[in-house]
Amino acid sequence: MSDRKLPRLLQTPAVLLLLVWMLIPLGMTLYFSFIRYVLNSLRRPEWTTPSFSNWRGFGNYEFVLKSKDFLFAIQNSLFIVCSILFLTVILGVLIAVLINKSFPGQGIVRVLLISPFFVMPAVNAVLWINMILDPVLGLQGIAVGGINDMITGLKDAPLVGWFFSMWPELHPISFRATQTSAYAVIIMVTWQWTPFAVLIFMTSLQSEDQQQKEAAVLDGANTWSQFRFLTLPHLARPIAIVVMIQAIFHLSLYAEIEIVSRGNGNKNLPYLIGEFANNNIGAASATGIFAVILANIVAIFLLRMIGKTLME
Amino acid sequence: MGRIVLKNVTKTFGETQVIPPLDLTIEDGEFAVFVGPSGCGKSTLLRMIAGLEDLTSGAIEIEGEDATDVPPAKRGLAMVFQSYALYPHMSVRKNIGFPLRMAKMEQPEIDERVETAAKSLNLMDYLDRKPADLSGGQRQRVAIGRAIVREPEAFLFDEPLSNLDAALRVGMRLEIGELHERLKTTMIYVTHDQVEAMTMANKIVVLRAGVIEQVGSPLELYHKPRNVFVAGFIGSPKMNIFSGTEAEKMGAATIGIRPEHTGVSMTDGMWKGRVGVAEHLGSDTFIHVHDTGLADMITVRITGDIAVKHGDTIYLTPQADQIHKFDAQGLRI
Ligand SMILES: Nc1ncnc2c1ncn2[C@@H]1O[C@H](COP(=O)(O)OP(=O)(O)O)[C@@H](O)[C@H]1O
Ligand SMILES: [Mg+2]
Repeated sequence: MSDRKLPRLLQTPAVLLLLVWMLIPLGMTLYFSFIRYVLNSLRRPEWTTPSFSNWRGFGNYEFVLKSKDFLFAIQNSLFIVCSILFLTVILGVLIAVLINKSFPGQGIVRVLLISPFFVMPAVNAVLWINMILDPVLGLQGIAVGGINDMITGLKDAPLVGWFFSMWPELHPISFRATQTSAYAVIIMVTWQWTPFAVLIFMTSLQSEDQQQKEAAVLDGANTWSQFRFLTLPHLARPIAIVVMIQAIFHLSLYAEIEIVSRGNGNKNLPYLIGEFANNNIGAASATGIFAVILANIVAIFLLRMIGKTLME
Repeated sequence: MGRIVLKNVTKTFGETQVIPPLDLTIEDGEFAVFVGPSGCGKSTLLRMIAGLEDLTSGAIEIEGEDATDVPPAKRGLAMVFQSYALYPHMSVRKNIGFPLRMAKMEQPEIDERVETAAKSLNLMDYLDRKPADLSGGQRQRVAIGRAIVREPEAFLFDEPLSNLDAALRVGMRLEIGELHERLKTTMIYVTHDQVEAMTMANKIVVLRAGVIEQVGSPLELYHKPRNVFVAGFIGSPKMNIFSGTEAEKMGAATIGIRPEHTGVSMTDGMWKGRVGVAEHLGSDTFIHVHDTGLADMITVRITGDIAVKHGDTIYLTPQADQIHKFDAQGLRI
């Protein structure tokens, strides 16, 4: 027995630390979500200190559920997360398969591909929204303007002028608008996280058995069948890992949403928590608990789906 | 059917020539074994026939038609790899059926052919398992099953038994032999193990550094090795080969005598020596004899048992008509 006690004893600090690390924030969130707790109230100053005497039961939850942005925030969270996952996984697999073949300059291309991952999220958002997506000053504005100028010029050209004069003038998209701000976030986060997917998939591709491929070639499998029946199943586990990690990260997106449109037309649960937390800590905590539940549902659902479709 | 002709084929990897110009014909229905030490180019040659490696020069003909530039899948050949190369995510059933599925065959016919193959290979109970849940021998059989469902013109085996333990290897050897008897399809089998070559082949191709040293039936190679290399490579235990005055007396630069063609006596004989280790197998006894003045060690194989001890003096007499003589170039006289 004593030979087991020592390892247990040595593990204890780490386990305790982990428990404290996870349980205290969760416990406090739960506690706050069941009491009335606001930062500032002239009318009810007793609510500004957390205490069991301010018990509210599920009142905060009801309040959050009935608030006008809650359902939208959940839908929007799912929309953003799923879109990013879909795009990063597809782009990641394609790029990983492409650069897995050896070609000149492979090393440099790989380093360049990974580099977006080293940009800080807030910087990433500022760069994209101001320098790339801006309808006037960004690359988008410049490109659309350039195309328009070119078409206008061609309208006066002999012979083909009539053809171009029938073309419409292109309008740049404003990505800060209510209708489009979610797309801007999806684009910039996809750009930033695709390298992560590429990196993981590439590592996995390098461990792919070459003799299996040769056997498949002899069995008459073309490039697509080899990809579909050997490479994709081989990537199932790394895809699950990429999806899991990203789902957890992107459910808590904040900086990008704040910088693109300050939540205008584009709120997710963390953003909603932030808005509540300006004053109503109780409601913010209840929203936080909803976020935990949502994250778990999403994770389980996604894993099931990947397991079914790829493992056959 | 599956007659395979190699004409002047060569293979170069970068600067090194692995296969110098080589000609070889494998007749339809033959069981040909490529045998040679590791790294001599057996796998490379087999992969060239399969189409997995391009030829540097030369041509390959399969069934009288030039196949040099035909893609692997269109050559009508099936290959069994040393690592089995099963598809890990598919069940045994899907693995075996994969080539048929790729050939766009109807599902009912695929099922039927897979079941027939599985029955003949004793795999019926494992059809729904994944390769990871099978033993080495079962995996090997799945790999063979995947090859036979295609009904190929020829089978190519690359050291298919070297990942199995000794007992299983003997069993699988027999099974592959049976398979050949039953299907009568051309088979090309690569191994570095001369026992496998001797027991399975109709035709053995002995390779050294990409060069064919000899082609012939097992017994031809055993009785009439063309040179010293083949003499030493074929047969177990190895032929005793030595040069020196004893060889010159017989008018050869080098002579060889197989362990089983040497008589022993405790009283008199042609060569005197001292018994080293004696291995008693019951049916046979291998005696390793030292201090004969011929070679470091002479191995003798006696049928049955004989009472010798370490250090005993022993006399050896080779059977005169079984002595192999080679000239200074190592070629048979
Ligand atoms: N793809 C390759 N690139 C360079 N050299 C190779 C390659 N494949 C095999 N070789 C070389 O060719 C020789 C023969 O290899 P191989 O045919 O695998 O031998 P065997 O199967 O007889 O053991 C070896 O010296 C090996 O190093
Ligand atoms: Mg080999």
